[in-house]
Amino acid sequence: MTKTAFRYILMYAALVLAQVVVFNNLVLFGCAVPLPFIYLIICLPATLSTNKSVTVGFLTGLLVDAFSDTYGLNALACTVLAFVRKPILHLYVSRDEDPTVQPLTMKSLGTPQFSKFAVTMTLIYMVVYFVGEAFNFFNFERMLLRIVASTLYTFVLVSAISSLSVSQREKKL
Amino acid sequence: MRDVLQFFIRHSKWLVFVAYLVASLVLLFTFNPYQHHVWLTSAGRVTGAVYGVANGVTSYFNLRENNEDLNRRNAALELQVISLRERLQAMSEQYGDTLAKFDPLDHYGFILARVVNNSVMRPYNYITIDRGSDAGVAPEMGVIDQNGVVGIVNVVSPGYSRVISLLNPHFRLSCKVKGDESFGSLVWDGADPRYAVLEELPRHTVYHRGDTIITSGYSAVFPEGLPVGIVVGDNASANDNFFTLKVRLLSDFSKLNNVQVVVNNHIDELRQLEAENMRTEGAVTDNL
Repeated sequence: MTKTAFRYILMYAALVLAQVVVFNNLVLFGCAVPLPFIYLIICLPATLSTNKSVTVGFLTGLLVDAFSDTYGLNALACTVLAFVRKPILHLYVSRDEDPTVQPLTMKSLGTPQFSKFAVTMTLIYMVVYFVGEAFNFFNFERMLLRIVASTLYTFVLVSAISSLSVSQREKKL
Repeated sequence: MRDVLQFFIRHSKWLVFVAYLVASLVLLFTFNPYQHHVWLTSAGRVTGAVYGVANGVTSYFNLRENNEDLNRRNAALELQVISLRERLQAMSEQYGDTLAKFDPLDHYGFILARVVNNSVMRPYNYITIDRGSDAGVAPEMGVIDQNGVVGIVNVVSPGYSRVISLLNPHFRLSCKVKGDESFGSLVWDGADPRYAVLEELPRHTVYHRGDTIITSGYSAVFPEGLPVGIVVGDNASANDNFFTLKVRLLSDFSKLNNVQVVVNNHIDELRQLEAENMRTEGAVTDNL
């Protein structure tokens, strides 16, 4: 357990840093925004209580906000994401086969199920994010384009990160 | 009592969720960027320091373009200095020492800073620079680079400051077409980081495509005459009393590196006068 927690904290620092230093500058075609740090919320163990995961979500969002000067936008989207995490997970995985205390990865869930879960989560995040952002500049088509493009882009990155952490574990075993 | 407690425990996840939701919504709807707390911005000690370290690597990118820009600007300024010196020489021979006291720039100073974080793709863009209150930077100071106006400082920590970029609709800049005295306000429309629009320009203003847009100097933040952009188009409708010009910005915001913070040494005096003015105006209205 402590080992898992330690590994999570390490990954947390690495992902937040990568997000603010690298990914914030990798916007594609002015519309696809990569936000792979949401993997930190997607991968939380299924058994973690909603209270705890919402707290982790809010604080993570706030941290990324502080770096990106988005002031509350990521905090809002992360809070929503952490709250709907369990119901979304149970759309694809039945309660009985909850993958216990392990963090959710491609390996522990299986590729198809993880992909479905990750796409849904990313889409929800992007909808909240861009609706929150568009409050002043309402241009529906542009917003829709940004949501779709960013969801695809971020999903690819999240899958990559997830498979990366799997291969590390396999190496250790 | 126990039932109430039971209720709260049973629904604790909803309560926690709503609490965080309200907190983030309050932050999100703080539209005035001057009210942002320094710890929740990129000017914070930790965030600023992280960007400072990352900038140690990225500041070497685009050095060639930066150098070319600086050289070009240097040459233009050199020429200007020579021509102004010659004119001053000629005039001082004619008018003697009445000119000696005239120096409109003596109340402006500059603090050199480096951009450590910058965005151009968001609807509200901000820039982080590596100079803060320790170096004398304060909120509402202007920021320029070798090409033109960049933004205005709004959150300051001891070591870093956050600047509202010109690419942020919260920032409106009073500008005029070079050679004409009527002024309008320049604002970014959120679409393309290379262009902004100059609004509310009176209809009698004479302008041509390719004219330079400069600061009007009415805001006390920027001195008069700093270059901002070039007129590339217009959309004047027949029944409107104002022109709206499309302006290509002179600063390349995606490659900002070295900037200067403009310090107006007379700002306190100016503010005091304005405050007094407001008071007297209030008194006059009261008497009426």
